[in-house]
Amino acid sequence: MKNGTSKTVITGLSKLANGIAISANAVGTIVVLLLVLVVNYDVVARGIFNKPFLGAVEVVQFSMVLIVFLQLPDVVRVDRLTRSDGFLTVLGDRYPRTHNFIRRVINTVSAIFMTLIAIAIWPEFVEMLETRDYYGIPGVFTAPWWPIKLTIFLSAALCAIIFILKVVLKADNFELVRVPEHEEEDPS
Amino acid sequence: AEKISAVVIDGYPAKALWVQEFSNFFIPEVDKRLAEAGNYEMDWQESYGGSIVKPKGVLEGVKLGLGDIGIVTTIFHNSKLPSQAISAVTPFVAADSRAVAKAVDEIAKEFPTMQKEFEEQNQVYLATGVVLDTYQIFSRNEISGTADIEGGKVAGAGMNLRYLEGIKDAAGVRGGLTDFYNMVQTGLTDHAMLWPEAAKTFKIAEVAPYMLKADLGAVNSKTVTVNKDYWDGLPDEVKDVLQEVAVLYRDHVAGIAMDRAGESRDAYVAAGGTIVEMSDEDRKAWAEAMPNLAAEWAKTLDDAGEPGTEMLNAYMAKLKDGGFVPVRDWSAELTN
Amino acid sequence: MSPIEIGLASVVAIVVLVYIGVYIPIALGVVSFISIWMMRDNFDLAMNLLKIAVGDSVMEYTFATVPLFTFMGLIVSKAGLGADIYEVMNSGFRKVKGGIGMATVGANAVFAAVTGSSIASASVFSKVSVPQMLSYDYNPRFAVGVVAGSSVLGMIIPPSAMLIIYSFVAEQSVGEMFQAGIVPGLMLAAAYVAWIWTMGRFAPKYIGGRSFEDTEWMTWSEIAEKTLPITSLIVVVLGGIYTGWLTPVEAGATGSLLGLVIAVVRRKINLHGFWHALLETGHITAAILFLITAASIYSRMLGMAGVPNALGDFLETAQFSFFWIMFFYVVLMIFLGTLLDTASIILIVVPLFLPLIEPMGLSLVWFGIVTVVGAEIGLLTPPLGISCFVIKATLDDDRITLKDVFIGAFPFALVMLIVLILLIRFPSLSLAILN
Ligand code: NA
Ligand code: NA
Repeated sequence: MKNGTSKTVITGLSKLANGIAISANAVGTIVVLLLVLVVNYDVVARGIFNKPFLGAVEVVQFSMVLIVFLQLPDVVRVDRLTRSDGFLTVLGDRYPRTHNFIRRVINTVSAIFMTLIAIAIWPEFVEMLETRDYYGIPGVFTAPWWPIKLTIFLSAALCAIIFILKVVLKADNFELVRVPEHEEEDPS
Repeated sequence: AEKISAVVIDGYPAKALWVQEFSNFFIPEVDKRLAEAGNYEMDWQESYGGSIVKPKGVLEGVKLGLGDIGIVTTIFHNSKLPSQAISAVTPFVAADSRAVAKAVDEIAKEFPTMQKEFEEQNQVYLATGVVLDTYQIFSRNEISGTADIEGGKVAGAGMNLRYLEGIKDAAGVRGGLTDFYNMVQTGLTDHAMLWPEAAKTFKIAEVAPYMLKADLGAVNSKTVTVNKDYWDGLPDEVKDVLQEVAVLYRDHVAGIAMDRAGESRDAYVAAGGTIVEMSDEDRKAWAEAMPNLAAEWAKTLDDAGEPGTEMLNAYMAKLKDGGFVPVRDWSAELTN
Repeated sequence: MSPIEIGLASVVAIVVLVYIGVYIPIALGVVSFISIWMMRDNFDLAMNLLKIAVGDSVMEYTFATVPLFTFMGLIVSKAGLGADIYEVMNSGFRKVKGGIGMATVGANAVFAAVTGSSIASASVFSKVSVPQMLSYDYNPRFAVGVVAGSSVLGMIIPPSAMLIIYSFVAEQSVGEMFQAGIVPGLMLAAAYVAWIWTMGRFAPKYIGGRSFEDTEWMTWSEIAEKTLPITSLIVVVLGGIYTGWLTPVEAGATGSLLGLVIAVVRRKINLHGFWHALLETGHITAAILFLITAASIYSRMLGMAGVPNALGDFLETAQFSFFWIMFFYVVLMIFLGTLLDTASIILIVVPLFLPLIEPMGLSLVWFGIVTVVGAEIGLLTPPLGISCFVIKATLDDDRITLKDVFIGAFPFALVMLIVLILLIRFPSLSLAILN
């Protein structure tokens, strides 16, 4: 009975965490589009109208942080983080229990590492929020640091949670061959 | 003698002027002085060129203890080290690295602000480095004054992009030094703002054979700092030696920068470049048309409770005493 | 343990963990973290290294090239530009023995100029050229082998995600790396064609196939229609970078937009496909940049341990010649290539060897080309060969096993090795275009 409740709670948590990861992913996806548009805007404004967008560098840097860290939890969720799984696959065929054990250890270590990143970044965020520190050139273009630190913190924390849930639920997508993700949607 | 280890970091490669002179001048000089007393001996570990930090990461690297001593490129840190912009916000005063290095270093020592800014980054200020004599304008086409820059595009980086606000319809295009050659060659920009030594290194004469000698001025961009915790653990004798040598290093680097500037101008002419003297009226007109960046700078510091106005006054006075005549007296216009 | 011993032990630990199957960025990060902690007996210092590396690495302006060129590659694949260029090449080569194979190589070389990854190339060409080769009775192993081998061109001929990654680790200009990749890429393509021709001449059974029955040639207008879009993209992207009109970042953005316009005009993309291209771009970018971030923790750890300096001193005293250093380097890359992906190989070996190469007065741009080509041999070798996996998965044909793909790709891996040796021996092959 008690076991059942905790299972429901964990499944619920997992759904929530995955939901957040998917939403963050969608936002990060829009940033990819914005990146394309901002850089093109600068090229055209500079080349044709003699009015370069002087904040292009800072905006590009900021979008890189958003793209990477908003998408990272989803990358973890769908198990697309770079790994070499030849050994695990061979092991899985012969000794499925050892195989499962190793995978849980790996996910645990990963959760700890992401937690360390979150812990390392948090004080940076607090400091940047208090000091209103910015990057860029005053009078030309500046952008605050704190949203960057906050994004990294939240991303690392969410990655840690997703790794923990993978350990608890023993459920990660494990496949040797990863085709380009959306191959099947190709209209041609 | 007691051994003291020191990790020196910079993100720039060992061949960069200020890094090279740190290895060839600063370190041997410290070793020599310590050897005379015979009490202490340094064990240097030099890590340059991105092996521990990138150029922008030196400030944080020293702060966090990844290096004990670092050469911070201050122009990357307008936000954390606002007072370091003192020479960048006062163009058209002194086209002499030695004078600017000395004046900035004295301001750093006579007023608490610069040291405080570094202290907040958990480090101790040692010395100022100035590695360029002055910004000049390099152009594709013949140029005689600001009239030829009006409506044009100028490659630049950092604070000096704001100097262009004094020229009608001139647009600054941001880029790294390594991009300037291509930017001018392709006509992406008509001009580039850089200093003669960089012009020589990047063969600017090939694409921009006209240099408008505007003498916008030397700018401080390097500061030698020491991690605070490391500093606190050093014996006084070592601290004293580091501080003395830092001042020598400051003058040594600035001197070399000036020598190289002279050689680089000759090399520019030898490579087919023409140097056009900018008229006094034109320099005056450009300076007058610029926003008073110095006053903005002083006000920002004043508002933060720092002696911005006093620092600016003292800095300008030092350069004037040194025989430099400002084209525009930025401090005379301060309101308080 | 001395810092240097810890540093060297950490390299071994990373390789072991990665082979066991630990996520590569996690292995790099965790081992480096523990190494710093042990080396200086200071937990806070290890945390500080994390702090500095995690923010720093991603904020690099030129890294915007990763999502931009990835997106461009995905969009142009959807727009059918790969299939188009293949048809054109095919009509040119069809009278030759092994002609479809040669056409595949040629089309890959051209397609490589608009995509940054080998995965895109492998999946596009296994769909268009393998079925055609099979229908003309080509040897199936040759058919899949040629697709695998030529997919490698996608990451040597610029734009290339691997050249971008190298330029970050070695602090070289992306633009220069791209320029340096052109000749070696074309050389590899030519070597493949020469190999196919030779085999067609002396061992025709290895290739198989029969000649085309129809003799109708493509009309000029058909050729124009099929080549203009991709040519215009190449002119804008590579031309923009080469002339200096565009930074690599700007070239990526312009190419993406232009690719998108082409796809829309040809009605090859709908909102759904567009969204998924963006989504996959984000996933790939996040995975690559997180890997780079972790690798930067690792290389800083090595720097703090003094490993590069020590290795340099060691090789200086041991008096290893240029030949032996490069020999070890290539063997190490081929060994790691059995199980690691290209990016990880670059990120692990370059920080170790860079301090040895620079003092020898060798060009770091040349070294980058050697590294990228060497690391990409691993795309074709078992047990983990990404290009072969993608081909097997995309084909989805029970008659062709993964083993067939690897066997088919093997001769092409050997051709790569020969080209690599030439590139090492003659640096001007990579550098001539820069001067
Ligand atoms: Na490519
Ligand atoms: Na392999």
